[in-house]
Amino acid sequence: MEPLLTLRDEFELREGRARHGITVFYDTFDGRLHADGVTLRHADGQLVLIDRETGDELVSADATGARRLFIADLPEPLRERLANVIEMRALTVIARVRVRRQSVAVLNEDAKTVVRLMLEDSRVTTTGVRGYEGELERVRELLPASALPFVDEAVLAAGGRPAGTSAKLDLKLDSDEPATEAAMTVFARLLEVIAENLPGTLEDIDSEFLHDLRVAVRRTRSLQRQFKAIYSDRLQHFRDEFKRIQQVTGDLRDLDVYLLDFDDLRASLPEAMQAELDPLRSVLEHRRAKALTATRRALKAQRTLDALHEWLEFIQEAPKSEQTVSELASHRITRVYRKMVKMGRAIDDDSPAEDLHELRKVGKELRYLLEFFSSLYPPDVVKPFIKTLKGLQDQLGRFQDREVQANALRALAPEVGQPATVMAMGVLVERFMKEEIAARTEFADRFSAFAGKAQRRTVKDTFG
Amino acid sequence: MILATYNIKGGVGKTSAAVNLATLAAREGARTLLWDLDPQGASTYLFRIKPKVKGGGARLVRGKTDVETQLKGTDTEGLDLLPADFSYRHMDLALDATKKPTTRLRRVLEPLDDYDYTFLDCPPSISLVSESVFEAADALLVPIIPATLSSRTLDQLHEVLEAEGPRVLGFFSMADRRKRLHRQIMDELSTEHDVLETVIPTSADVERMGAERAALVDFAPRSRAARAYADLWEEVRARLT
Repeated sequence: MEPLLTLRDEFELREGRARHGITVFYDTFDGRLHADGVTLRHADGQLVLIDRETGDELVSADATGARRLFIADLPEPLRERLANVIEMRALTVIARVRVRRQSVAVLNEDAKTVVRLMLEDSRVTTTGVRGYEGELERVRELLPASALPFVDEAVLAAGGRPAGTSAKLDLKLDSDEPATEAAMTVFARLLEVIAENLPGTLEDIDSEFLHDLRVAVRRTRSLQRQFKAIYSDRLQHFRDEFKRIQQVTGDLRDLDVYLLDFDDLRASLPEAMQAELDPLRSVLEHRRAKALTATRRALKAQRTLDALHEWLEFIQEAPKSEQTVSELASHRITRVYRKMVKMGRAIDDDSPAEDLHELRKVGKELRYLLEFFSSLYPPDVVKPFIKTLKGLQDQLGRFQDREVQANALRALAPEVGQPATVMAMGVLVERFMKEEIAARTEFADRFSAFAGKAQRRTVKDTFG
Repeated sequence: MILATYNIKGGVGKTSAAVNLATLAAREGARTLLWDLDPQGASTYLFRIKPKVKGGGARLVRGKTDVETQLKGTDTEGLDLLPADFSYRHMDLALDATKKPTTRLRRVLEPLDDYDYTFLDCPPSISLVSESVFEAADALLVPIIPATLSSRTLDQLHEVLEAEGPRVLGFFSMADRRKRLHRQIMDELSTEHDVLETVIPTSADVERMGAERAALVDFAPRSRAARAYADLWEEVRARLT
């Protein structure tokens, strides 16, 4: 009761029964609740969402604690509040503490409760009672300020990171350093992302571990390609290894995407057909289980671990390049941009889909270059450039996704067997093809913004 | 859902019913409000809250007061009170001075539709206030002491209420099964009228509420009367769904 000493001079307190219990805190691996300014904890058979700043209870609901919670596992009011925050990510236990909990009522001269307190060990959280805001303010003045939210303290004590683990690059490079040095910073960060997301991928906690791991692999491959001139021939060995890692994890990612989209696809069918699509889900789940086994085996293989380890040594030991990073990066950005302009101009309504896919691939290279090296250039150039590029890429992506989805459904049809299910899939295929055509007609607009005179001049001035 | 405890007569257990039922509702997790319309402020007193509404009843019914700023949280989580105010004794006059007086209480409650249950603890009378209550409420909970005069309440109510008015749920209050007259009247009324099965017994525990300044279901939850209120709440809810 020590933290309440200062209150006793002014208020009567009524203490509730003390209980010992376990409090469990949840967040997604990338700390989405933390970023949203909330804390989710489980204690006394209740999940409670708390405002990080004020400690106020926002939403609570009866629930059993679990090791892992997806949005569908949460009780209704929490689901509503958090659906757009955690999306497809799983909430996992980030800290687990044993605490003595006691509720205490702060009373006024009529012995009426005017503020509620919750003591957790020596921490106090206050909850106001409607119409007694003045008393709440006074109580908060009298209480010693707690430095750190309980959850952060618990996570730090458990050796974790309160803000979660981000897969963002967030790099600060020096324009005058040798290209090899800067590339090492980028590659090392990408290796870190791979290492951080590997355990979650193997444990199959949620789909985003593998996704973030694969994005890091893809970015690594992209920079290997763009900067190949500054490395020895041995680079090829690592390019092959990263390509292999990308390939062995591809099936699993594709199936994750189909399953994540499944409910939306199902809901988009005429109501009478919706249930008929369900056998497809079983087929996808069965395939996914197989793909997971294959991916686990490949990622745990000694060959893979050796490749990652040796790759780090390789980039650390690479002889310093003559070229500075800004010289090489500017050169590569200019080249890739020009290549895209050239490819895009050659595309007309009769061009094969393949040409659009190729353009998108090169676009990704450009996007990664801009992201890796954004700290070397003025933000007022890089940011709008990425935005224009993103507009084009999203449109090309929609085009390609539709085609890939349509092809995938066609390929799955023989395995599904049931005619009614195949018919429902046919409805989807038809729609995807229509949307593919629609996406294509948007191409010209997006491309002209990207390859127009103004953008070309900016690229020349900044990177040329 | 708006529920009013109402009887033309006073001292029949309106406040006790309102306070105990509202407490039970909030404890089940329903967001609950109690509006103490009685200028004597008995339920306000039981919740240890000051009987004060800023600007008084007249401004409130004219829609000049932001009602949300006048709410007070009770010691039961989830149960808020709109307190009584001594000026409520002139509420009839205040209502009479407005256009469409009988719609005023409903209008005051409109911004408070977040609550799952709103209880109105009404002053005893037949007046503009009670007419406004009839207009606002989905159901009237009418405590009846099983004695000849108070039993006429239900007849009178049905005369006053129009067909589309609130449901009338009568229940026996302060009943003493040891008294032959009580038993007799309860039997008779139950055959003539739709009266709830649960009977709130006369009890010293109920009277202790004034000294304890708390709901019976809080300070003596195992007492016979407290259990009767729990049964009554269950029966009322079953009737209204």
